[in-house]
Amino acid sequence: MEELIRYGEKFFDELEIAVYRNRDVGVNIELNEVSTSSVRQRTITVIRGIIDKRIGISIIDSEDKEEIKKAIEEAYKMAKLNAPDEKWISLPEPDKYREPKKISKEVKEVSPDYFVDLATKAIKLALEKDKGFVVAGGGGGAQWSESLIVNSHGIDVFQEGGGAFFYLQLIGRKNGNVTPGIFEFDAKLNLNLEVEKIVEEVAQKVKWAYNVEKSKTEEAKVIVGPWAMASLLSYALFPAFSGERVIKETTPLLNKVEQKIASELLTIYDDPFHELSLKPVIADDEGVPTRKNILIENGIFKGFVWNNYWAKVYGTESTGNGTRNLSTGGVGIGFHSIVIEKGKESLSDLISEIKHGYLVDGFQGAHSSNPDNGNFAVVANPAFLIENGEVKGSTVFMMSGNVYELINQIYAISKEQKVIPFHGTTITPWVAFEDVKIAGK
Amino acid sequence: MQDVLEKALEWAMNNLKAEYIELRYENLKKTNLELKDGTFVTFTGKIQRGVAIRVLADGAWGFSSTNRLENLEKAIEEAYKLAKAGAKAKREKIQLAEIKPVEDIVKSKMKIKPVEVNIDDKIGHLRELEKLLKEDKVVKSTMIRYEDASGEKILLTNEGTNIKWDVNYLVQYIWTTGKKGDKLAASRDSIGQVDYGWEIFETKETNEVVAQRVLKKLHAQLNGVAPKRGEFPIVAGPIIVGIIAHEALGHLAEADLTINSPFKDLMGKQIAPEFVTMSERIVDGGFGNDKYDDEGVPVKDIHIIENGILKELMVNREYAHKWGIEPNGHARAQDYTFPPIIRMRNTVFEPGDWSFEEMIEDIKFGYYVVDFRGGQAQLNSAFQVGVQEGYMIENGEITKPIRDTSISGIAIEALKKITAVGKDFGIETGFCGKGQTAFVSSGGPHMRFDGGIIIG
Repeated sequence: MEELIRYGEKFFDELEIAVYRNRDVGVNIELNEVSTSSVRQRTITVIRGIIDKRIGISIIDSEDKEEIKKAIEEAYKMAKLNAPDEKWISLPEPDKYREPKKISKEVKEVSPDYFVDLATKAIKLALEKDKGFVVAGGGGGAQWSESLIVNSHGIDVFQEGGGAFFYLQLIGRKNGNVTPGIFEFDAKLNLNLEVEKIVEEVAQKVKWAYNVEKSKTEEAKVIVGPWAMASLLSYALFPAFSGERVIKETTPLLNKVEQKIASELLTIYDDPFHELSLKPVIADDEGVPTRKNILIENGIFKGFVWNNYWAKVYGTESTGNGTRNLSTGGVGIGFHSIVIEKGKESLSDLISEIKHGYLVDGFQGAHSSNPDNGNFAVVANPAFLIENGEVKGSTVFMMSGNVYELINQIYAISKEQKVIPFHGTTITPWVAFEDVKIAGK
Repeated sequence: MQDVLEKALEWAMNNLKAEYIELRYENLKKTNLELKDGTFVTFTGKIQRGVAIRVLADGAWGFSSTNRLENLEKAIEEAYKLAKAGAKAKREKIQLAEIKPVEDIVKSKMKIKPVEVNIDDKIGHLRELEKLLKEDKVVKSTMIRYEDASGEKILLTNEGTNIKWDVNYLVQYIWTTGKKGDKLAASRDSIGQVDYGWEIFETKETNEVVAQRVLKKLHAQLNGVAPKRGEFPIVAGPIIVGIIAHEALGHLAEADLTINSPFKDLMGKQIAPEFVTMSERIVDGGFGNDKYDDEGVPVKDIHIIENGILKELMVNREYAHKWGIEPNGHARAQDYTFPPIIRMRNTVFEPGDWSFEEMIEDIKFGYYVVDFRGGQAQLNSAFQVGVQEGYMIENGEITKPIRDTSISGIAIEALKKITAVGKDFGIETGFCGKGQTAFVSSGGPHMRFDGGIIIG
């Protein structure tokens, strides 16, 4: 790589070479059967070079030395065509990394047969549970990734790691009714996927959904489950933590550092080293060391996250949140593993304490939320009605409002947490909100 | 490359006992530009090259993809072994509907291919668009993303299919944030073309037209009032009608999903008034247009709903065999790293005979919804669509704009509440995600729903 950096320096003031190797192994489940087994292998090299504050990027599906040389020349061609970015300062300098987490090599070598067997077992278990069940979809697999980030200032960091996942989507048919598709999953850094637990949990929810209950237009207590929490906050709240939006004044959190913005029960941080994290990276996509960044602590907003570019424009330091878009090569601001701190109560206690309220498993339309102001209008589906401490059946309702009001309505948080592999990773408990306005159906 | 592929296929046919072998090679040169508030933060040239291999052996699929082109035999063998491994768990063996193998070269219809346009012109175009947007003082931030690609795709199968495409596309996406007082709002716009080239920016989608459209939506959001929640008469424009067609109905007509949807028991039945027809077809400017799909099947127009009756489904060869119908060209793969799956192309409601004025004249109170930001649906056809441009209808007239809201309903129930279908027609182009991304369009005429859709 040294030689290629030297070659690149003939063209550029500074440059970065990033190589990503991915191998995905997996199976799909379709209609009670294993459908396709696959192995997908891809290597991508991204060149980012800067000359006279002009940036040029090139991407190739290869790590061949001669191909990379050609890609460097292509990036140079692009840079010459680009206009100078007067805000550009420099690529990051080398820094100290944490000790990497121990990785499980079994994920690297696992054969697709392993997942064929796992899928077969899961389908069998699910179909044995209830005659009305249909395994509508699902799948399992493992991903092994290796990355190498090198730049002309001396950054040189290699990382490898992988994880495995399994999910199942069930539909129940009973008395002419079809339940919505309900799914459950597990994702880990090793192969200890808990298939029985997945089947158990999803079967419970489908059975609840057999009974359809009406929801009212009212203000009620609502417990939002991990998948729903992750999807809503990923679109309505998390983008507001981006430093780029500070500079552009498009974050509602502008000038709110050290102010109370949420219930004191709420603590959120980004930490790739959290025990449930699926990507324990020591460096971000620019080679900057990662760290735990506290975003909200006991309801107080603590600060923004930055990549190298926007941090330097603002006059601060990168927080190790540079994430590369592999289809365009651009480096934006992203998260590694956002963690919503767990609470003290068990989920079953949270449910049993509710006289009348709802449990939400998923939100439809979270991606239509407005990150610029936190407004959202989503459909809670699948959702469940709780009466006198018990789940009575499935229901559907609309929830619209503003995420900054919502995070002040938290009254309890579960002690169970789940990792959601969505937009990076979100690790979240079940969160209970009070006085939530809902529109029933 | 054709030789290398043919040699590898021949090796596989001689050495593996497979029912079906498919090689799909792709070599694309792409340009990615992202202009954010005056700066090109992405300025990228990209080469995407690799092979997708799909093997059907013992009634099960194996798939592998690779960009190591020097050892294709190994990758084919890997896919074969995967199929064999999967076959052990298979109760019902997969079979494919018969097709007539095609040998063809698919030429581009573009007048000006993006690869023929000087990059300075692309830069100039984006900068001008940004300038037009920023001339409006409420605009706080703009992001314009542009991507184009030119190259080739080759499909070879052991059945004799041999198709070579001249692949070209272009995409432009805008996200604009505006501020008025304390109020922040956003507006998005997307253009995607496979048949029209750079000429689209000189004719239908000039910067002036696009900027005006984006700013109109932005102002509607900034000046909007919150709508009343509830069920009111709704008049939906082509873009909203399209997203309902795509999200809430189209997905149910993808044969792999139909089986778990209410459509399964509704085939051949009247599910909408007889003046309602919804098609999956080639559309002028459609982003999902193509001559063949990724299994080499010619793309055919179908009517999902014809005169109110649920009629046809989208299939690949596997599901065509399962359902006993003709393959209709809906097997599509995002790129060489994915196997083809059943996807929509251009999903549209067909025009009727109402004028817009006739449609709204007797509405005392209702809403006119024009454009969306994100939409999603469940397999029971429950949908939710975020509205980014909408207006109140009061006493037969369009009055105030409404802000961030959404509409939702159960599409198969809402279909029955359609009371008028406009004589106009429009589409929007975009992307559909189903584990993979596909280029799609959706649209139709203005339509009126008297109930069945909840707003707020």
